[in-house]
Amino acid sequence: MSNVREIRTSAQADQEDVFFGQTVILWARWSVIAAGIALVLWTSTSISHLTQTIPFFLALMAMNFFLHGRYVMGSPLNRAVVTVASVIDLVLITAIVVLWPGSHGLNNQFFVLYFPVVFAFALVFTRRIEAAYTVMAMGAYAIACFLTGTVALDLGYDDKVLVMRLIVIAAMGFLGNYYFRIQRDRLARASEDSSAKSGLARTPIQPALRGSGS
Amino acid sequence: MTVDNRQHLVSPDGKWYWDGVAQTWAPVAPPHGDVWPPNEEPKQRQSASPAARAATRGLSSFVGNVRSEDLAFGQTVLVWARWILIGTGLVLSFWTPSDLLTLQVQLAAIVALAFGNFYLHVQLLRGHAAVDKVVYLASLADICVVTALVLVQGGYSSPVFIFYFAAVVGISVAFPSALTVAYTALVVGIYGVVCLATAIPDDYPAIFTRLLMIAAIAVCGNLFARNESHRRAEAIRIHQEVLDEAEQSSPSLQKA
Repeated sequence: MSNVREIRTSAQADQEDVFFGQTVILWARWSVIAAGIALVLWTSTSISHLTQTIPFFLALMAMNFFLHGRYVMGSPLNRAVVTVASVIDLVLITAIVVLWPGSHGLNNQFFVLYFPVVFAFALVFTRRIEAAYTVMAMGAYAIACFLTGTVALDLGYDDKVLVMRLIVIAAMGFLGNYYFRIQRDRLARASEDSSAKSGLARTPIQPALRGSGS
Repeated sequence: MTVDNRQHLVSPDGKWYWDGVAQTWAPVAPPHGDVWPPNEEPKQRQSASPAARAATRGLSSFVGNVRSEDLAFGQTVLVWARWILIGTGLVLSFWTPSDLLTLQVQLAAIVALAFGNFYLHVQLLRGHAAVDKVVYLASLADICVVTALVLVQGGYSSPVFIFYFAAVVGISVAFPSALTVAYTALVVGIYGVVCLATAIPDDYPAIFTRLLMIAAIAVCGNLFARNESHRRAEAIRIHQEVLDEAEQSSPSLQKA
């Protein structure tokens, strides 16, 4: 038994989560960029409109080119950089909701861009970080709606619509992270059963894989 | 899914199969038995497995007896996604209801969904994941309910379309890629047609965004589920290699 080596540590398992999850975040961001650019080109009625709106998506695109390039080259960025990039996503989407010419706040239909971004983030990070990110997204959207004066606190129809949207953003985060934790647990169990059924002692892979699963 | 398609219940190394009732991995054959290779034998064993036998009882017996491992795990996400849909829908139905007919349709659909979800949740709590077809039908019901709510609220202008996202999240992580594509195409198709029939051309960009984001959610969820499947298979393979290595070196150590 002496040569049963350690396969993964907790830190390595976390890095793997970020590595494998990063591709989901990248593709979620590409979907946001594709939707945004298509819409900008589609709905622009003047040069000034186009020049005011396209920079949001060009900024996202530049960031994603860099991140995807690093990923493809086999040197993905660490969790801090991935987290910062995801926060930038939120900032840009909120800026779109607030500043988009013609429709602001609750009336802006770009709020759906929050959904894939929050969902992808929840599939990668542990519960505490995911919860913070989801609350940040909900807060940013709620503040954007109130700041633009498109929602009044009168418990009317607009408040109902806002609450509904906030609940679905929260659901994206919760469901994504719930599935993430299920998968991490499955990964741990798969190895656990494998060694237990073979009648051999457990290797350090089990505590390592459980690691920071929640 | 048919009984013949149960190869996915067998672990990547072919030595274990997933017992959906007991929620455990069971050996396909003794580690050093005579029934190796497992390619043929697991099928016979699976057909007589406790999972298959148990599925012949209850509601599940009307729709088949195949329980998939991935679906069993993804089912919990589906069930919680549906509770979110039900809870939110119920609360919001009473918040500034527009008219009696709308409220009646909403409540009837939500209550029906709640009963169905309660059954599925109880099955999960008892350790009996529902068979695949029940889960597929339940997800179809989700889509139908959300579509009904969208329709009674005016189509494009209805704010409840966002519940499609919650439904697609569950589907994308629980279902195989082909079915995820089929269900997402169904959602995009139905909602797209409803919107095109009820919106003015100025709203088409917003419709496009909504449909694209529904598809993006499905892609992200399914991509992650596939990645995790590969990781798990790789973890089992690496772990098995280490165990084999340990087994092979043990006799030599004993002789020494």
